[in-house]
Amino acid sequence: MKSDAPPIWTWKSRLRDAVLILALYLGEVGFCLSYKLYTARDCLNLGRLCVAERRGSGVMAAFLMPGSVIITDWHRSSEGKEFLSSIVRKNKRKFFGLIERPVLPPQVAADTACYKIFVSGKSSVGKTAMVAKLAGLEVPVVHHETTGIQTTTVYWPVKLRDTERAVIFKLQFWDCGEATLKKFDHILPACKEKADAILFLFSFTDRSSFDDLPNQISRVAEESEHIVKIVIGTKFDQYMHADVTERDLAEFQRTWRLPLLRMKSVNGPRLSDGQTLDGRAGLADVSHVLNGLAEHLWHQDQLMAGLVVPAIQAPKEDSLYL
Amino acid sequence: MEESGGCGLSLICLTASSGVPLYSRSRGGIGRQLPFSVIGSLNGVHMFGNNLDVLLTATSTENTRVVWKSFHDSINLIVMSSEVDSSDLYLNRLLDNVFHAMVLVVGLEELVNIKNVERLKKDLRACYRLIDSFLTVSEKSGDLTQCVDCVVPYDGPILQECLDAFTHAAESNFGCLMAAGRVVVATEKWWRLAAQEVMLLAWLVASLALNSSRDYPVYLPHGSPTVPHRLLTFQLVPGVDVCVLCGPTPSLQKVETELVERYWRPLQDPVKACLRVQLRSFPASFPLHQGILGLLLINREQKKGVYTVQAQQAEDKQQGVSLSLEQRRAALRAFYTLAVSQYFPSEQGDEKKGKAASKLE
Repeated sequence: MKSDAPPIWTWKSRLRDAVLILALYLGEVGFCLSYKLYTARDCLNLGRLCVAERRGSGVMAAFLMPGSVIITDWHRSSEGKEFLSSIVRKNKRKFFGLIERPVLPPQVAADTACYKIFVSGKSSVGKTAMVAKLAGLEVPVVHHETTGIQTTTVYWPVKLRDTERAVIFKLQFWDCGEATLKKFDHILPACKEKADAILFLFSFTDRSSFDDLPNQISRVAEESEHIVKIVIGTKFDQYMHADVTERDLAEFQRTWRLPLLRMKSVNGPRLSDGQTLDGRAGLADVSHVLNGLAEHLWHQDQLMAGLVVPAIQAPKEDSLYL
Repeated sequence: MEESGGCGLSLICLTASSGVPLYSRSRGGIGRQLPFSVIGSLNGVHMFGNNLDVLLTATSTENTRVVWKSFHDSINLIVMSSEVDSSDLYLNRLLDNVFHAMVLVVGLEELVNIKNVERLKKDLRACYRLIDSFLTVSEKSGDLTQCVDCVVPYDGPILQECLDAFTHAAESNFGCLMAAGRVVVATEKWWRLAAQEVMLLAWLVASLALNSSRDYPVYLPHGSPTVPHRLLTFQLVPGVDVCVLCGPTPSLQKVETELVERYWRPLQDPVKACLRVQLRSFPASFPLHQGILGLLLINREQKKGVYTVQAQQAEDKQQGVSLSLEQRRAALRAFYTLAVSQYFPSEQGDEKKGKAASKLE
């Protein structure tokens, strides 16, 4: 779709885009409010950081506004809860085998959309930990390099904003260790084969992993134009030891124009038995990431199918408007 | 050696040439780290003997049994145990399993020609879960018998047929269906792997973190210790994995999207039923004398075994049962150890057919 952009880039459309971007900025205030609701607990802790976040999200909003494709707080509605009960049982996240599916109540129906997501990032940034956290599994305490490839399936129901249709996203995360990647030739092609998205991870506590991002992106994402690319900062829980500032992030986004999400990869609270992870609390920690992923994946599909014009996703020439 | 008194069981791995500790594990996970001086003297005494052409294999203190084992003149393993039921047979097999587990994950080459000790240390971390699974008290017997634990499923022939077809479609001859680390069914070729390999693969899959599928490089310790093969695993339902051992093709993506659903979805019920027989290892319909609480049945020819200490279905209703599950496990393992070390001294894997069933109570 991007290649079609220049011919229709007339004064008329520029005016239209300018209006659109203005509208996006206005919408941002509202978004910030809802975003803060999501991360209310973070805000309590972070204080000053939140101000910076507003600035950061302004850049992000130019790509795809959180909540523009799906209804972000739908999971708290009664209908949303009904869908959630298919992946959380007795406050415990359910894990599905490959021949199983979440079972929905008979009166509600939803399509399933499958996506393959390749998790990329320097060694020990927390790829495995992030995937475990998203799946509601135990985050490993001791780090060791992942051997080979491991995939994890996460089901996540969302409500689309335009059609008000519920869709179950089946997100399959492909995670592999850096050493394996270097040692065996088949690993990288296997991970990239028919991938719908690539997540570039850096750790807030490891400056070198952030500096390595451009390198990662050019190495891994070459010839993958129509793939969703998202940058995720892990270990955001250790903001006290953060090695990467919000200013760095804003600058990075100006250059690379990729959406950015933040992730706390630590185990959440446990249930009264002291063993099992609290499924709902765990989901509350990661719902913004799952929503963000779902939104970008769905939007990309729509772009590919020609159902939406790439107006929201600003093309590269657009930088003079910002 | 008093330091290790309360610890139960500790395992140390060192390089043979320089005596650099590569890792140490103890029963119950990370546990207490042994003081360097203890590690140093344990290795020193072994090295001292070695220099005088004396092979030190084992010793006992008042409450601790120590066993040394050297592999390929490159890796030394030392185990200390203060547990009453730790026989020499068990400790030796433990060390053997641990070394071959290391080969399985990192390959023999890296263990024999150690170029970078720090790199090796880092790589060996990938074996910790598997090694720890040998150190924890388990519901399986494969660590002691070196024969893989099996379950007898309800619908064996159907599962076998499906596995054969699935494995063939995945361009391989080596396929295996596992439930919680026990083999449900496997292809004919899978059974031709070395007994220890079959056991190690089952324990490996059981020890890994929960994942939907994996493409895991394995170095078969006896068949192919230097050239890795790809072990593809697919979790059909939590607890039941189907595994295929293959070369460069097919890709994980291909098998998963094109074959797994097609072959296994129709068999969802028999697959789930595998979990129901897990603790007992065989279906409830199998008649068994009331007095039998646990049994261990080994087929030495096919190198597989059935092991359970919960042989009776409706057992919790009987109030009079006095032996706890731990006691039963200990009794059964002790009986096997006694039988093998006393009556089958050629136990290094080549006795014709040993059948050990223990009737407790």
